[in-house]
Amino acid sequence: MSTTIRMPEVLANVTEAAVQKWLVAPGDEVAVGQPFAEIETEKAVVEFAAETAGTVLELLVGEGDSIDVGAPIAIVGEAGEVALPADPAAAPAAEGSGGVAAAAPSDPESGAPVLEAAAPVADAAAAAQTSAGPVEATTGAGGASAPGEGSGRRFVSPLVRRLAREHGIDLSTVTGSGPDGRIVRRDIQALLDGSAPAATPAVAATPAPAADAPAAAAPARPAQPAPEGATVVPHSRMRATIARRLTESKSSVPHFYLTADCRVDALLEMRAQLNAGGQVKVSVNDLVVKAVAGAFVDVPEANRTWSDEGMVIHDSVDIGIAVSLDDGLVVPVVRGVEGLSVSALGGRIAELAGRGREGRLKLDELEGGSFTVSNLGMFGTQSFSAIINPPHAGILAVGAASARPVVVDGALEVGQVMTVTLSADHRAWDGALAARWLAAFVARIEHPLSILA
Amino acid sequence: MPQRRRLDTTAEWVELTTTAADWRKADPALLATMLGQLHLIRAFEERVLDLAAEGLVHGPAHSSIGQEGGAVGSIVSLRSSDAVNGSHRGHHQFLAKALAHVAQNGLQLDALVTADIQTVLQKTLAEILGLAQGYCRGRGGSMHLQWFEAGALGTNAIVGGGAPMATGNAWAQKQAGTTDLTINYFGDGAAQIGSVLESMNLAAAWKLPVCFFIENNLYAVSTRIEEAVADTRLSVRGQGFGIPSWRVDGMDPLAVHLAMEEAAAVMRSGGGPTIIEAEVYRFFHQNGPYPGSAFGYRTKEEEEEWKGRDPLDRVAREMIKRGLIDEAGVASVRAQSVAAMDAATAELLEADPDKQGRRRIRPELWPDPEFVNVGVRGDGSELEGMRVLEPSASDAARRPMKFVDAVAEVMGRRMAEDERIVVLGEDIHRLKGGTNGATKGLADAHPDRVLGTPISENAFMGLGGGLALDGRYRPVVEFMYPDFMWVAADQVFNQVGKARHMFGGDNPVPLVLRTKVAMGSGYGSQHLMDPAGVFATSPGWRIVAPSTAADYVGLMNAALALQDPVLVIEHVDLYAEKDEVIAGDLDYIIPPGTAAVRREGSEMTVISYLSMVKHCLEAIEQTGADAELIDLRWLDRASLDWATIEASVKKTNAVLIVEQGAQGTSYGGWLADEIQRRLFDWLDQPVQRVTGAESSPSISRILERAAIARTEEVVAGIETVRRNAGGAR
Repeated sequence: MSTTIRMPEVLANVTEAAVQKWLVAPGDEVAVGQPFAEIETEKAVVEFAAETAGTVLELLVGEGDSIDVGAPIAIVGEAGEVALPADPAAAPAAEGSGGVAAAAPSDPESGAPVLEAAAPVADAAAAAQTSAGPVEATTGAGGASAPGEGSGRRFVSPLVRRLAREHGIDLSTVTGSGPDGRIVRRDIQALLDGSAPAATPAVAATPAPAADAPAAAAPARPAQPAPEGATVVPHSRMRATIARRLTESKSSVPHFYLTADCRVDALLEMRAQLNAGGQVKVSVNDLVVKAVAGAFVDVPEANRTWSDEGMVIHDSVDIGIAVSLDDGLVVPVVRGVEGLSVSALGGRIAELAGRGREGRLKLDELEGGSFTVSNLGMFGTQSFSAIINPPHAGILAVGAASARPVVVDGALEVGQVMTVTLSADHRAWDGALAARWLAAFVARIEHPLSILA
Repeated sequence: MPQRRRLDTTAEWVELTTTAADWRKADPALLATMLGQLHLIRAFEERVLDLAAEGLVHGPAHSSIGQEGGAVGSIVSLRSSDAVNGSHRGHHQFLAKALAHVAQNGLQLDALVTADIQTVLQKTLAEILGLAQGYCRGRGGSMHLQWFEAGALGTNAIVGGGAPMATGNAWAQKQAGTTDLTINYFGDGAAQIGSVLESMNLAAAWKLPVCFFIENNLYAVSTRIEEAVADTRLSVRGQGFGIPSWRVDGMDPLAVHLAMEEAAAVMRSGGGPTIIEAEVYRFFHQNGPYPGSAFGYRTKEEEEEWKGRDPLDRVAREMIKRGLIDEAGVASVRAQSVAAMDAATAELLEADPDKQGRRRIRPELWPDPEFVNVGVRGDGSELEGMRVLEPSASDAARRPMKFVDAVAEVMGRRMAEDERIVVLGEDIHRLKGGTNGATKGLADAHPDRVLGTPISENAFMGLGGGLALDGRYRPVVEFMYPDFMWVAADQVFNQVGKARHMFGGDNPVPLVLRTKVAMGSGYGSQHLMDPAGVFATSPGWRIVAPSTAADYVGLMNAALALQDPVLVIEHVDLYAEKDEVIAGDLDYIIPPGTAAVRREGSEMTVISYLSMVKHCLEAIEQTGADAELIDLRWLDRASLDWATIEASVKKTNAVLIVEQGAQGTSYGGWLADEIQRRLFDWLDQPVQRVTGAESSPSISRILERAAIARTEEVVAGIETVRRNAGGAR
């Protein structure tokens, strides 16, 4: 009796994935727990281990083919057994009679298939791309009400209509404050502020998950053809995910920001001493991550994250580290940072970053955590603010340490100063809590022996 | 019993008829030229009617067949620098003038059609057919024939509409020191319309060399002359205006010629205008190839009687009598004329491939549809090289000056620099600068170029139009109140505004029309409009509306330099303002397309002009709105500063258009329309507007205030924009 192996849901809410590489071939014997395939999702490439022992009878999908989660990918059975067809229930809908019509949207009143021919191609394509709810259905059949609008037409100013289109904003959730409930610019100002196109090139150029600039890559419809001389490169899965998740974060998480300058002469001196002796080199970033953990020890009530069900209280300090890739980024999570030595932490971060760059992180290494550190100091960036990586409650954007004038006891002197900016989720943290946490962090950084303690 | 003494006018009024002796001593060359012209014109118009019957003439074809004697007799001896204009029925006068121009030594009957004449016939026919090679590029057609070089100023489809412009042309001829003259042709139907009577009066008062030539053909379409007037001898008009007048048989070309010789002697010697009434008869109906009797308003017998007096036959008969030609010679003249028309027609028509036995216009001869808007106005290139100065950005020293004094000073400066400038209007030469002092000092400095006019807006506006078309002078016309534009509407909108485009787009109409908005002055319903909206929606006009004295200087200088009609709107509220101008500089321009941003802001874009700019500033201050205020300065479609408006609206996403006057004729309507189409995706709310009420402002102070907009209404408008912006403030 053969067993159908299905595409696993390697990450919550991931609906499709691809086999990046088969680690077995037809005829191979596999044992439970043996690496079976590398599965590429939007987020990462993870190893998928065999859950059934037996002989691989057939591989049903090619490497790189993206399919729905739950669809059959392989059949495992006894050697010599003939592979049965995969579960017909999972066969593509197109094979069933009427499958096309069933899959097509239909007009709610007539039940007839909605003919999209009248809609501009760009709009139709965009509608297909938009995963969120009905985006202000201006191209809907006959101008009928969008679903969920009730009987009334939703009034939207021309400006808002255009901006929603350009920024992929779902207006169905927006309440209009203009005359007769018209949605006006003010009603989406916050969303726009979070996703307004910025001059900063792209996330890819930074190691942060959250450099404050991704909206240009937001899943907006390609309303315009590429300008002459430019080409359109289809989004990688990772690029699309970055765009979607950061847009969601910036437009749904109420960010607020606190900035502090840290005097780091002592920190740098201590690091130099550490590196002078030990075999393991300690980076400034290792010390920063460790100081972050120390701050959570000092202000334990800050170690919490928002969920719709309730506030999640964390009992260990799990910190995401933003790691830049050639074109994208991943945020592996280091767990129990408060209990790790600096050298152990440094080794752990280096190891995770290395596998992240190779696309070989495991699923559980990408999940969880309550806080992120994003460091652009190595690029010379003085200061920046970052977008929170949900479900984390905050992210610390770390700039470069540099010699700057400082006032000590009323006298001007030169000191090494590092600027950090905390982005906090106001649903989880209030301003005073964030300020206390940041003060604790600064105290740790400026008294670096406390980091080691 | 009161004593009664009979009064007589001093104006001569005579009936002139030829005698056999006149015919005997007439110059044979004159008679030959008249015969040749008569036949060419007749053959031409017969061909036009043939083509009309084939459906190839779009629109009416008003033939003058039967009436050629009046045109040929009066034009045959004119100079090219003499000018004519005429009415909807003007083929014969246009051709007579064009033929006289290209054949200045007369016509040779044995070799009638020279290459130049063939060209005239073809170009005229092409124009009537609406083709690109016509004199007006096909725009004018049968009713708007213009050839400036030949002295054909342009025929006119508005009855009586040409009289004021002919008068203006005569003013230019006189002022330039020439002995040239102008003839304005019109029919019996126009002999009692206001423009003609106003023009007769003006020409007589100012002794201008213009002949009002009445072709009395007895019918205004189907209305017979007896039904229209008490005295059917229409040359009687001269008695009312002190104009010497001749009545003559128009079917006798020599009689017309002799009358014109006498009239020309009066006009060329400074004796002022003349009237010639020629009794003529059109053999056909008002238009088209059917006789009037077919429509029942006259009898076939009457038509036959008049056809017996055909001017072509009359001249031929007299010439044969003198042995100057024989029957065969006359037949040859006719044959040459018809052959010339065959040749002209062949150039323009071809067999219709879709309809057996039919002809069609050669398709390649039509104008390019892209030509439709070319020449509505000039391209403004005449301003290139002029010195531009933006007063609001200049740190030059200032001189305190009341606004109204700046109006007078810049005009005085320009008149001193440019002898072409002529200022005309009611009372502008008296009262220390007219009713408001806006022309102060001009009459003293330039008495021959500051013309206080009779109260006849149609005549003096059209006189300005005639000056502008002539080009030797730069007319500046003043309407004491804007509402008077309705009195002069034909000249303002049908003539001056359309002339350049209608006649082909090349001949410019440089004219400045000044007027003042007087809302708040208590002059009531018929004096207090803002004319901007009406002018902005009429073709051809540019509009400026300065809000400061320094702007006025630059805008007026640009208006005077432009080759287009420009309306300059002033406001009585501004006149008394203690303003300032650039010290020692009245010579810069502010070119079209330059609005001024009076205040920068991000909350809304407030667009205004003239005196309302100040009210907007007050309202912005009172409300604390972070409004951007644009002072348009140039208001018309071609001159509007779209770049400034667009940049502002893209920033603010909200627009408030502010003006003072009544809703109906308001300016903001068309602008709001343009903005919503150009900037729809940038608008966060409807384009909001501040205007006056629906009614015209009344005389009662309270009702006048209620009918117009001032600061309080702008405040309300700003609040409306804020309400529409939604959100919590």
